[in-house]
Amino acid sequence: MKNRLRVLRAERAWSQQDLAERLEVSRQSVNAIETGRYDPSLPLAFRIADLFDLAIEEIFHNPAKDDQ
Amino acid sequence: MFVRKGAHNPAQRRYVRRFVPGMLGYVGLLLVSTWAIRAYHPEGALLFLLALLPALPLVAVIGVMGLYLVEERDEFIRNRLIVAMIGGLGILLALTTIWGFLEDREVVPHFPTFLSFPIWCGCFGLFQCFLSLRDRLAGGGE
Repeated sequence: MKNRLRVLRAERAWSQQDLAERLEVSRQSVNAIETGRYDPSLPLAFRIADLFDLAIEEIFHNPAKDDQ
Repeated sequence: MFVRKGAHNPAQRRYVRRFVPGMLGYVGLLLVSTWAIRAYHPEGALLFLLALLPALPLVAVIGVMGLYLVEERDEFIRNRLIVAMIGGLGILLALTTIWGFLEDREVVPHFPTFLSFPIWCGCFGLFQCFLSLRDRLAGGGE
């Protein structure tokens, strides 16, 4: 799933490891989510949204909207 | 709290702490069982128990692997682990199915079924390596 995680992270000058520690996940998880290879669960997506103080849809691209 | 120390998270460290005694127990009980059966030639219930003895730590190790899946809090790692386990299981089922048909027609010798778990572990490990390599090549990272 496409997302703005890399941009949001770069704006805060966080490394993948920094973000991983804030989210309490591995750096591989952050990398996989950023590159769209892994779609996070809803609880993890909420944690990410809370961390950046944004709504989930402001971070993750809704693939259903591509069909409309 | 998930705080990385070295290369392993707390669930992975607990897994190693449980796995190592299980495998040491297997080696120890295998030696005891083999020695006792060769030395005393037991029969009946005692032979049954001595033959069963080395399998028990391996069953515990299977439980330890299941426990790690439950305790792993990193959902991406857990997901990759499950994919590797199912991939390993698929290879094992394919191999034993092919072997079974060949064995049935006496083309190959009898397959010792206690090898199923180590073969699955090997296939699971290979799948893990493949997935790690795929992620490394696809992801880049920092």
